[in-house]
Amino acid sequence: MDRRTAIHRIGILMGGTLSASTIAGVLGGCTSGTTGDMPFKARTLTRGRDELVATLSELIIPETDTPGARAAGVHEFIDNMLTDWYDESEVDEFLAGLTDVERRAQERGEQPFTDLDMGIQVEILTQMEAEAEARSENGDTETPPFFRTIKSLTLFGYYTSEVGATQELRVNPMGVYRADIPFDEIGRAWA
Amino acid sequence: MERFAGITGQPEGLAQCPDGVFLPPMALNWGEERVREAIATHFDDRLLTIGRAAVLTQPHNGRAACHYCESCYRGCSAGAYFSSQSATLPAAFATGRLTLQPESIVHSVIYDEEEGKATGVRYIDRTTGAVREAYARVIFLCASALGTTQIMLNSQSSRFPQGLANDSGVLGHYLMDHHMEVGARGELPGGEDRYFQGIRPNGIYIPRFRNLPGATQRSDYLRGFGYQGGATRSSWDRPVSGFGASLKSTLRRPGPWVMGLEGFGEALPRYDNYVTLDESTKDAWGMPVLRIHYRWGENVLAMREDMKQSAAEMLDAAGATNIETYDNYTGEGLGAEPGLAIHEMGTARMGRDPKTSILNAHNQCHAIPNVFVTDGACMTSSACQNPSITYMALTARAANYAIEELKRMNL
Repeated sequence: MDRRTAIHRIGILMGGTLSASTIAGVLGGCTSGTTGDMPFKARTLTRGRDELVATLSELIIPETDTPGARAAGVHEFIDNMLTDWYDESEVDEFLAGLTDVERRAQERGEQPFTDLDMGIQVEILTQMEAEAEARSENGDTETPPFFRTIKSLTLFGYYTSEVGATQELRVNPMGVYRADIPFDEIGRAWA
Repeated sequence: MERFAGITGQPEGLAQCPDGVFLPPMALNWGEERVREAIATHFDDRLLTIGRAAVLTQPHNGRAACHYCESCYRGCSAGAYFSSQSATLPAAFATGRLTLQPESIVHSVIYDEEEGKATGVRYIDRTTGAVREAYARVIFLCASALGTTQIMLNSQSSRFPQGLANDSGVLGHYLMDHHMEVGARGELPGGEDRYFQGIRPNGIYIPRFRNLPGATQRSDYLRGFGYQGGATRSSWDRPVSGFGASLKSTLRRPGPWVMGLEGFGEALPRYDNYVTLDESTKDAWGMPVLRIHYRWGENVLAMREDMKQSAAEMLDAAGATNIETYDNYTGEGLGAEPGLAIHEMGTARMGRDPKTSILNAHNQCHAIPNVFVTDGACMTSSACQNPSITYMALTARAANYAIEELKRMNL
């Protein structure tokens, strides 16, 4: 199976919600990691949009008994994806999605999204998900709704991060193959 | 071949899928075991077995056993996955009689009209672009079916204006590939408390059960197909709606068991599926590229319907739910087009009659006794199994024959 087929297949596994660029990025080694000890500096999510993305991703995968998306650096991952792997129209679409979130925030609470109470943030996101589901039920699959995009990017970034793959889930170790074992022996899904 | 390469598999005693010399089989997981039992119970003519794969399940001929990391496609650094790098080249080096000449792109076979035989190959040095020649008493072409065919078509002389040894005109014709991207998948209820560890570089196999001697004859198509596939539990990559702590908590556990069966079917050899040289488009080495003309015939399309339905039928017998059949064939579009199985073959086929074939039963060109073709180009029919080990066996057999002929002073 070649890379094109692999990307296509993974896209199907993910329910078709991931763009080929996302999958290519992850297969290509895109992570949240910044170079050496350099602090993260947004390249595409500038002008505070990295904070908006961090807030949205933390709403999708919050800190519980394990760290959430923010601690895993999902917003850094997304900035790397947008900068290094997405094409121009995909970046524009993503940034337009963020603008739409801010429009909703102003309409609902007359404040930037990041300043709203978490209850209102959740309301907005819930509304966005309902609209996204209605769209796909109507067969509108032309462009993925922004909710789907940010959710799949968050899941991808989180569960392929060290935090997501080792603290929340488990890394399937190499060395042995055991075909049929009790789930309780592992206790978590393989990342 | 199997003793040399190291093949893992489970003997099953089937005539249509004969047992070989196997290393210990890899095990089935919970989901696959359920489907195996259901098929054994409900179908007299079918059986599910673990795949037969060129991956070592124990150390073999100085190569390490598989460590189940699933990086086979990157080239197995442990050499547990059979390849020329891990197995055949080291063995050839060990003879002390191998000269490996990398960076060499073979352009054509040199034919000597007076001698009535081939004398060597013309090749291009990839690093300098220089054209060079190498000479030999016997030449084996084993450059993959289409690579070999391109070289042969490109080897034109006044004796063979249509390509090397191409008196019959069938060189490039009868192209075959397996057809795939058709089958079914479904969820297996239960087994929430069962899981697996490690990544098995192998799946299940359901050997051919159609158009075999006995009660399996079909009126709607010839020949048959097998299934590859497997069961697994999905992880965070499954579609789950919602967000927040509840989503995170749901994704902490794996999803349901999902079993997939994908058909791999035989395609009939047809003269109108062929490759030609496109003189108007040259590759980086100045050689005309191959133009490929290949459409699935009616037999394939009829078989695909059965491949889909029979997969669903077996999943249903196993108690699967949410069974979905699929066929990614889209006519002239992409999805299940010829070439996806990367098992192309047939373009310099064997035959008893030199008027309708290129090679004799020893993979030897009818028209040029010192040229042998031992890759997939030699095949007369495609069967439905993965073909590599057959090519290897044919190559070893032809090499042995060539040596005997040399000893008899016939070459």
